[in-house]
Amino acid sequence: MRQHKLIAALACLLLFAAACGDDDDTESSSSGSDSGGSAGEAVTIEGGDDMNSILLPKCTGIAVFDQANEGAQEAAEELGTSEPEFLGPSTCEDPTGQIETMTNAATQGVDAVMISNNAGEQIQSGVDAATDADVSVVSWDSPIPSGEGESLFVAQVDFDETGVVMADMALDILGDEGGQLAILSASPDASNQNAWIEAFNTALEDEKYANLELVDTVYGNDDSDESYNQALGLIDSHPDLKLIMAPTTVGIAAAGKAMTDEGLCDQVKVSGLGLPEEMRGYTQSGCAPEFALWSFVDLGYLTYYATYGIATGQFDAVEGQKFTAGRMGEYTIEKDPTRDSGLRIVMGPFTVYTEDNIDD
Amino acid sequence: MSSTAAVARSPVWIRPERIKELSLIGVIALMLVVFSFLVDDYLGGRFFNRVTTSVAITAVLAVAQTIVIITRNIDLSVGSIVGVSAYITGEYVRDHPSSSALVGIALALGIGLLLGAVNGTIVAWGRVPAIVTTLGTLAIYRSWLVSHGEGRTITADSLPSWVVELPNRTVFSVGELDVRLIFAVVVAIVVVLQIALQRLRWGRRLYAIGSNPDAATQAGLPTRRLVFSAFCACGALSGLAGFLFLARFGNITVVAGQGLELDSVAAAVVGGVSVLGGSGTLLGAFLGAVLIDVLDQSLVRVPQVSEFWRNAILGALILAAVVADAAIGRRFRRRWSAEARPHTRVEPAEEEKEPTHA
Amino acid sequence: MRSWSRERSWEVLLALILVGTIAYNATQSDVYLDVDNFVNIFRLSIEKVIIAVAMTFVIVSGEIDLSVASVMAFSACTLAFAYDSGVPFWLAIVLALVAAAAAGLLQGWVIASTGISSLVVTLAGLIGFRGAARVLLEDRSIGDFPAWFGDVGRADFIGPMPFGLVLFLVLLVLGGIVLHRSVVGRRLFVLGDNAEVARFSGIDVARTKVLLFIASAFVAGVAGVLFAARLGSVRANIGEGFELDIITMVLLGGVSIFGGSGTLLGVALAIGIVLNLRNGLGLANVESNTQTGVIGVLLIASVLAQNALDRLPLRRSGADAQEAAA
Repeated sequence: MRQHKLIAALACLLLFAAACGDDDDTESSSSGSDSGGSAGEAVTIEGGDDMNSILLPKCTGIAVFDQANEGAQEAAEELGTSEPEFLGPSTCEDPTGQIETMTNAATQGVDAVMISNNAGEQIQSGVDAATDADVSVVSWDSPIPSGEGESLFVAQVDFDETGVVMADMALDILGDEGGQLAILSASPDASNQNAWIEAFNTALEDEKYANLELVDTVYGNDDSDESYNQALGLIDSHPDLKLIMAPTTVGIAAAGKAMTDEGLCDQVKVSGLGLPEEMRGYTQSGCAPEFALWSFVDLGYLTYYATYGIATGQFDAVEGQKFTAGRMGEYTIEKDPTRDSGLRIVMGPFTVYTEDNIDD
Repeated sequence: MSSTAAVARSPVWIRPERIKELSLIGVIALMLVVFSFLVDDYLGGRFFNRVTTSVAITAVLAVAQTIVIITRNIDLSVGSIVGVSAYITGEYVRDHPSSSALVGIALALGIGLLLGAVNGTIVAWGRVPAIVTTLGTLAIYRSWLVSHGEGRTITADSLPSWVVELPNRTVFSVGELDVRLIFAVVVAIVVVLQIALQRLRWGRRLYAIGSNPDAATQAGLPTRRLVFSAFCACGALSGLAGFLFLARFGNITVVAGQGLELDSVAAAVVGGVSVLGGSGTLLGAFLGAVLIDVLDQSLVRVPQVSEFWRNAILGALILAAVVADAAIGRRFRRRWSAEARPHTRVEPAEEEKEPTHA
Repeated sequence: MRSWSRERSWEVLLALILVGTIAYNATQSDVYLDVDNFVNIFRLSIEKVIIAVAMTFVIVSGEIDLSVASVMAFSACTLAFAYDSGVPFWLAIVLALVAAAAAGLLQGWVIASTGISSLVVTLAGLIGFRGAARVLLEDRSIGDFPAWFGDVGRADFIGPMPFGLVLFLVLLVLGGIVLHRSVVGRRLFVLGDNAEVARFSGIDVARTKVLLFIASAFVAGVAGVLFAARLGSVRANIGEGFELDIITMVLLGGVSIFGGSGTLLGVALAIGIVLNLRNGLGLANVESNTQTGVIGVLLIASVLAQNALDRLPLRRSGADAQEAAA
């Protein structure tokens, strides 16, 4: 078997050197390899070849991932290629489902897997198996921590900025007197939430947030019942709590419901990253005066385009490479400053929702 | 036959069940006292309201589980039944917002009844042991739900408001303490079923087949039908619990209810129900559920003890309850069953000396 | 057919189902019959199959151990917690195994001395040891184990097989010898058939039970360490839901839930069926919970089929044959 892999690797290098363009062969390139990718002009991604792919969210049953799927389907239709298979574990609590899907992808011989990583570092074995079988792995929403085997990370926003946005919203809500706040996150293995929480903690060190006190961080595993119970647990163990910051759409909705059910909306506010559709009632009632998000439809769309471009060999995933992804426009691949290694593109802006703009 | 008649005659207050129930109430009271020293503002409206709201679902499941356990069986699929019932009922009321509460409840009960009947059929007539059957149906029902739901979640805001507001409706209030509608209904169900189980022939027969299945069959009891009926009752109650789940949480995922089966067995065991069948009361199971919930809610409030001790303490609690039941209960049961058959009354000391004689 | 024992005919049935499953899966995917794929199939479930071998011994003896997955998690969390607290890694592994054995000792002792059914005691263990794992790790995830440890878990050890798979095969062979060819094994069969008879034939029932549960928990502990090696990080909720697959593997393998009969070969075949079935479904993009549903059907069907077989006049091996021969 090792001989097998060696020959395959040699073959890949030969193909590389010959700089062949539009093959059906997929080529996954890791960061830093020298190649024929032109750092100057942007490559316009065009349809034509078919791509078998899997869209692997953290888990199913969460509206934002359904939206990402919508976006990916839209992109596939535009490019005239097969729709991605939307596969995910039914619960966000157990990461082994993602590892299994990733490993199976290698056996199935799909061209690409687009993953929102919920398994932290454990996903590495699955990613290695996939890349060994020439499957392109692109991450979105939540990256692979080591960056190894991953062609590209499609980041919805800059992760460090997320921390500042959350801190600003907290300051807005709590005002100058400040107060106690707690974080209700998703899975403790989720690379994106963990990065945001870290960024949030760093942001809070700044002078202007001096009156904000972060008292606890709990995990709801993106399960609405668990998040609901965790939110209740927070106000039970911290009676002076004034704000629950939930950087996950499941958590913020559950916290909103919990505070509403307890009749505590005047005392304890809820904020974080939420879907306007789910949060409308809570914003109008004053429970969740401010929260933020981006478009998951756009994220899915962009991820599909980028993956398609890489898998069909239209461009190489290297630093400095530019490409145009359909209606989303032009993007440049850069080194990811929030991780030790790995490449990323950053999609686009935050939208901060308040009572005023929530109906848009 | 005469033994069952004799049971009805013996004075109610010396029964081991009564002692267990009283000791459970005692333990709960003790816990409340201890925790009130550890936590500020512990005994208050909010705590009472929280406990009564959250205990409703597990209480119904504990009662459901007890009915099955009494017959010397177990139902591990109750969590999946809750999930299926909550999800399907949720879909229905979401798509028919003008339907009344009764329709929703009837639907939930019906679904639970159906799933319980499947369990009962396999156990009673397929003669597959209950633990194997319900381990299998736990998986089968859940997998059906997952493929039916295709991973989609039912969201609280898509449900008609009467469903979502149901947990907040109160019957009456005493100062800060709200007696919520759902809690009152659950208590009523427990009381009614408890009386039914003790007074109706059906109930007494369930106890009979649990304490000695062979003797029951030989005495001509329709064992298989009785076991089937127990699973049906358990299923129907689990379906009702599913409706309560829908009302409480609103957001129903395809994995809703996962793990509730363990809670129901734990509550029953802590409540003095013996897994070997033939003993234990619904009231005891209810108190067991209350005890566990009070413990849960209290642990969260004590800053010195982290909530992660919850399961460890629960496991120890179950063990303690079971050991206590084995040690004390056995002695009482011997005396009690000797009373029921006066012509066989033997001094306990003599009995113990000759254990190997039939 | 009359000369075939019940166990033999069950094994033949299993073998047919196994070949059928593999054949079907092979038609769905060209790479299915690759050695690499088979290794992968085991790789993803290695902890379950190892525990299934131990569970066979437990169920044959007429007991059940519901706490295995929780003890596995408890052991893995002990490893992670100790390592995280600065304990040298080899010592952390030892502590993990000792913790698992202690868990088994506790349960076994309660079962043997109080006579309470193993169902209830190990149910308390299932909840309690999961809780103990949570107390240790709370909701954190601990990883960053030494590189050699990850290699043990993931890299090829002998040929294309990782260490875990080799360990499983060794356990299977050793287990087969102990269960079917040694005095210890015979005693377990007798115990499962009739505990009273066992006591009267001079078997120290209490001691046997205690050792049985220690062994079961110890194997679960080994599985926990392997899990940590394979996945590279540990959380308190690992292994939740493993019990279903494990019990299915054993019962499907022809081991009677009431104890006293069954073969390790049957269990090995059943393991093959469950793993290939899951993998085939996974490759067809059937979601994990749905796979579990199929396993559930298999579980019930296997007992129904065994009940049906019981009505046929087939010779039973194991304890019955020995009684007849005596």
